[in-house]
Amino acid sequence: MAKEECKALLDALNKATACYHHLVLTIGGSADSQNLREELQKTRQKAQELAVAIRGRLTPPLRDRGLGAEERAEFERLWVAFSSCLDLLEADMRRALTLGTEFPLNKPLRPLVRTGVEGGAANVAARALSARSLRHEAERGFDVEDLHQLEREILQVGEMIHDMEMKVNVPRWTVQARQAAGAELLARPSAGVSSMRCVSVEQRMGPCDPSKALAATIFSAVLLAAVALAVCVAKLS
Amino acid sequence: MAAGPASHGGLRRAQRPHLSKMERMVVSMQDPDQGVKMRSQRLLITVIPHAVTGNDIMEWLIHKYCITEEEALHLGTLLVRHGYLYPLRDPCHLELRLDETPYRFQTPYFWMSTLWPAAELDYAIYLAKKNIRKRGGLFDHEKEHYDQLHRKISHTWDLVVMQAREQLWAAKQRRKGDRLVIACQEQTYWLVNRPPPGVPSVLEQGPERNSCTAGRVQMTKTVDFYRREVECLRKALGRARVKSSVCLEAYLKFSSQRGPHDPIMSGCLPSNPWVTDNDTYWAMNAPSAAVPTRLRVEQWAFSFRELLEDPVGRAHFMDFLSKEFSAENLSFWEACEELRHGGQAQVPALVDAVYQQFLAPGAARWVNIDSRTMERTLVGLGRPHRHVLDDAQLHIYMLMKKDSYPRFLKSDLYKDLLAEAVVPPKTKRRVFPFMRKPRHSSPSPALLPASASREPSGGDGEA
Repeated sequence: MAKEECKALLDALNKATACYHHLVLTIGGSADSQNLREELQKTRQKAQELAVAIRGRLTPPLRDRGLGAEERAEFERLWVAFSSCLDLLEADMRRALTLGTEFPLNKPLRPLVRTGVEGGAANVAARALSARSLRHEAERGFDVEDLHQLEREILQVGEMIHDMEMKVNVPRWTVQARQAAGAELLARPSAGVSSMRCVSVEQRMGPCDPSKALAATIFSAVLLAAVALAVCVAKLS
Repeated sequence: MAAGPASHGGLRRAQRPHLSKMERMVVSMQDPDQGVKMRSQRLLITVIPHAVTGNDIMEWLIHKYCITEEEALHLGTLLVRHGYLYPLRDPCHLELRLDETPYRFQTPYFWMSTLWPAAELDYAIYLAKKNIRKRGGLFDHEKEHYDQLHRKISHTWDLVVMQAREQLWAAKQRRKGDRLVIACQEQTYWLVNRPPPGVPSVLEQGPERNSCTAGRVQMTKTVDFYRREVECLRKALGRARVKSSVCLEAYLKFSSQRGPHDPIMSGCLPSNPWVTDNDTYWAMNAPSAAVPTRLRVEQWAFSFRELLEDPVGRAHFMDFLSKEFSAENLSFWEACEELRHGGQAQVPALVDAVYQQFLAPGAARWVNIDSRTMERTLVGLGRPHRHVLDDAQLHIYMLMKKDSYPRFLKSDLYKDLLAEAVVPPKTKRRVFPFMRKPRHSSPSPALLPASASREPSGGDGEA
């Protein structure tokens, strides 16, 4: 079914954009390295492939004048989400270009800003590519060529957005999103919103953490019961 | 929407040089040999490096720029307020404390110059993420913003929710320490860009100026780019420039000349109407006052333009010129002014009248214009428009300015005016100003629609 495919592709694009955003955050910081730039490149290329695929799937139904009103509304909703996602991606790509030019890796005119982020982000990129892990094959001068490539890709994405606006006319004000305000608070089955806590960094783990406290009490209760049983068994035998 | 910063943001960035200066400072702090001393921050299990204390920052600033402690504190506070440094213990209060409170540097992505102006979609995604993390525990002003955003961009709310969830998942793929740091960074960015109520916003800036500099990163330099640069530079060459020494001299002269005349700098006699409710000052300085004040008469000596702009001055100048038998110059000038500022329909008739009265050979009040200007004007009279007599008017103006005006200033007429001019006495200050004269607030103009049409003429008459 066309809509399910489009939805799946859009989810994948959304994932790739979110991961790309997360990776771009660390350019210029202490976690910046050739590996990071390579991960950026792979993520954005995947995102662009997905974008082209979605565009190919969504454009024909929207240009088809004989489509029913409900179906059309559904496709328009997907279209609006898609074009906003693409705008986000383009903006992040531009920022990546700016930051990448300002903080070149090989000849540091400016040393990297020590932001406290140290670990690698290979898992993030792997998540974007829906792969298990990522292999790094970057050579030393990777970031410089990558910047040229990035520039070309930004222009391509810009053209794609422009093209999309010209070919398909979806007035934004008529589109009703399906999610209401506060929809994110309803737990999605796969989402597991448990362990991200309040971000004041000087906090103590332990007493103020109800789910962990609950787990701890249950565990200690089970342990006590086991010890009591063992003592009883020892006394009996 | 998250707009591309290349063209639109570039213009804004060029007008905020304080940001690039701060960024240079932050980058020089990162120098491994001469930068700020870094410590590690120890949480229960995780250790996060690259923390600095307020004291370290101050010492580094004092050492590097050879400034006083007060100035270093001010600089440090600016850095924190603009979000380049953020405190780790009390993240909602962006200020620099001179003790062992730890701070950390902000990642370049969230620097003010990279990511400005803050996009609404991004803010919506941030609030959604915070909503998920804190299970609805947003601050009040954040809840308001959330509702506002939901109304504004409700069409993309699907994307907001999807992106919020995915970004949180992406963050989970990192180590715990990195996750905390990145969350802090984002929180600081939004504290600076959407400050809570009561905190002054550092983003307010003055009126925009039209500077044509491009963004920080120039995409490949195409032919168009160079063409625009060449045109920009050519225009810049053609601009008239004045040396600041000349300019400042003129400014000083203006200030010293006008100082005694300015009612705010040197007080106004008899008294400031806004303070004492006595509007004699306005009545005496009205455009059509019978007897001008001394200050006013002195002002006519500053420049010819002052004299002509004041109706009383102009009338006296006309008297003087009629004694010298050159009053037609001023009449011609006045007629040209009327042409320039009058109605479009009257232009042809007026041009004709002016020609008949002042320019035709053998006219009643013939003005003396040099032959070249006269030829040009006669040619232009074939197609009359409101600026056709501009050249002639300018010629007569310069004639009056160079010739009649100095004689006017030296004449007896002017000296008599100076002598007769009134200097109002200063009103005696009452001992109990509030007891004697009750103040009445003027009635609200909204309540008197009938007499509103009569008001403007009275209002204009007051200086």
